[in-house]
Amino acid sequence: MVLFLSFMNLFRNFRRTLAILLTVALGTGVLFSFKGFIHGVLNQYKDSTIHAHYGHGQINTKNYRENVYAEPWEHWMENGEGLNRYLSMEPSVESIFSRVALPALLKSGKTAISGTGQGIEAEKEARFFHGLKIIAGEPLTSRPFGILLGIGLAKALGVKPGDPITLIANSIDGEISEAEFIVTGISETGSLDFDNRMFRVQLTAAQSLLKTDRIETIALGLTDDKAWDSFSSRFEEKFPGLEVTSFAVLDKVYYQHSVDWLQAQFKVIQLIILSIVLLGIFNSVSSSVLERKQEIGNFRANGESVMDIMGLITLEGIFLGFLGSVIGIVTTYIILTVFLNNGILMPPGPGLTNPFYISFEFEWEMVYASLGLTTIAAIIASLLAGVRIAKMPIANALRSI
Amino acid sequence: MYIMEKQKYLYQLENVTFCYQLGNHQIEAVKNVSMDIPMEELVTLTGPSGSGKSSLLNLLGLIEPVQKGTILFQNEDLNQMNQSKQNQIRKFQIGFIFQQFHLIPVFTVEENVAFFLARQKLAKTEILQRTQESLEAVKLWEHRKKKPSELSGGQRQRVAIARALAKKPDVIIGDEPTASLDQQTGREIMEIFRDLVNRHKVSIILTTHDQMVQSYAQQSFHLVDGYLKH
Repeated sequence: MVLFLSFMNLFRNFRRTLAILLTVALGTGVLFSFKGFIHGVLNQYKDSTIHAHYGHGQINTKNYRENVYAEPWEHWMENGEGLNRYLSMEPSVESIFSRVALPALLKSGKTAISGTGQGIEAEKEARFFHGLKIIAGEPLTSRPFGILLGIGLAKALGVKPGDPITLIANSIDGEISEAEFIVTGISETGSLDFDNRMFRVQLTAAQSLLKTDRIETIALGLTDDKAWDSFSSRFEEKFPGLEVTSFAVLDKVYYQHSVDWLQAQFKVIQLIILSIVLLGIFNSVSSSVLERKQEIGNFRANGESVMDIMGLITLEGIFLGFLGSVIGIVTTYIILTVFLNNGILMPPGPGLTNPFYISFEFEWEMVYASLGLTTIAAIIASLLAGVRIAKMPIANALRSI
Repeated sequence: MYIMEKQKYLYQLENVTFCYQLGNHQIEAVKNVSMDIPMEELVTLTGPSGSGKSSLLNLLGLIEPVQKGTILFQNEDLNQMNQSKQNQIRKFQIGFIFQQFHLIPVFTVEENVAFFLARQKLAKTEILQRTQESLEAVKLWEHRKKKPSELSGGQRQRVAIARALAKKPDVIIGDEPTASLDQQTGREIMEIFRDLVNRHKVSIILTTHDQMVQSYAQQSFHLVDGYLKH
């Protein structure tokens, strides 16, 4: 019957109940949409980061990334074909990209500049890594002696797509080897330092210049990024001499720090929203409870304890919080899916070059969290509002106007 | 023999004094009152406004703490009772009727009566039976589905009486229960109270300064400036 009374009390002053419900609904709606937006931002940003350069993660020999070697190729992976075979049988692995580093001197006419290049499987990478911004020409794709230059490097060399270029490199046995390439395109990453020295050639061409068939790095594209943890533990158990590193660790400076920063920001905004909800409900419930001082005094006179009264007021808070939250979530979901179905165009994220659309991405966890947080805020507000009246001396409560 | 003697009284008060704070002033509302209130009688506390009768009634209803002196309720010293025990007494043994009725506006008449019975955790059939009996006793059974806002002042007070009666308390305490009613309705309410005492063996203690109400009292205590005048 207390439950029934708490529910019926919602209709005692319909306008005030409506005001409380709207406060809760608005707070929950903002919280829910903001969660959806942040979730969308993080997912899109993660997706862009994965498809920009690193894939879901990379394989190297153990401790290779942490150390600087005079002869790094000594620590590259042998048996690349065997690894490729194993990886292609892994159900969670969708794409395998073998890479080698290629430090070389780039020569065009009388200009020679040293650059840090990479040998890649260009055709496969072009299908997966669509985050690279090509500002002139085209990606490497299948041209065996094509070269893609960073914008700074291309400017310094004074070349444009279609121009020839000579690459001079030290092979792993210390000999000088060189080859002619044709500039297929010019790319931009947004990192000046990277664009001033980066170039890319086909993996086979790089291996030929270096005179090795070893692989420095294998980048991976997975069917689902949630599969990373189970894949990495399986892989490291099978190949103890190798280690796998996720894109979040590889791109810690940009990706992980951005994610951490956004999440910290979200927590602050969440706190502000919850405080507004709490104050709004507190204000409305306080008025509601204050008006019922005599009635509460009567309850106390008839043997109801302070805890009983608090229970009654809390139940009302639960009803208000839950009902308001449900209204807020449903309304927000309808508004966002109807009016903002295509998402919002965002400028490029840190370390990225392409703008991207953020759609509001919802998960049930967000519904539970928004519902739970605002309902808890409503309960706290009700308790704060109710405790003073519940503890009031009975005679004072009965005497009050 | 001694116990038999003591059980004749519902309340026994000895040198009871009660003060309350009004702004910066300490008001001594009840001064050194000693009295015995018998069981199963209609008793009135009379006196002019500010004489301390409502404060004394609050003390008897356990809704004000005993500050000085001793009050025995059914031979139990209120000073020795903790809050939980006092809640239990108010819940099961005392019925309250207030001048302002204090009905729950969102409930119907029968829900108002049944609410405190449900809080006593009685069986549903028992609640229904008691609700019907008490509403029939105050002649409101046919109005059981109405909300308090649909009733007259007299009818609302009868609901409050039914609510107090349904608890089957040892005592019903009423603070000027007829003050906001017209003379005719007040008389009807007093007839109900007399009937409750005679037929249901309930003790009733009322405050009043209405001669009509006093005429129904089997025993009356008169207070002036907080003192009991014999």
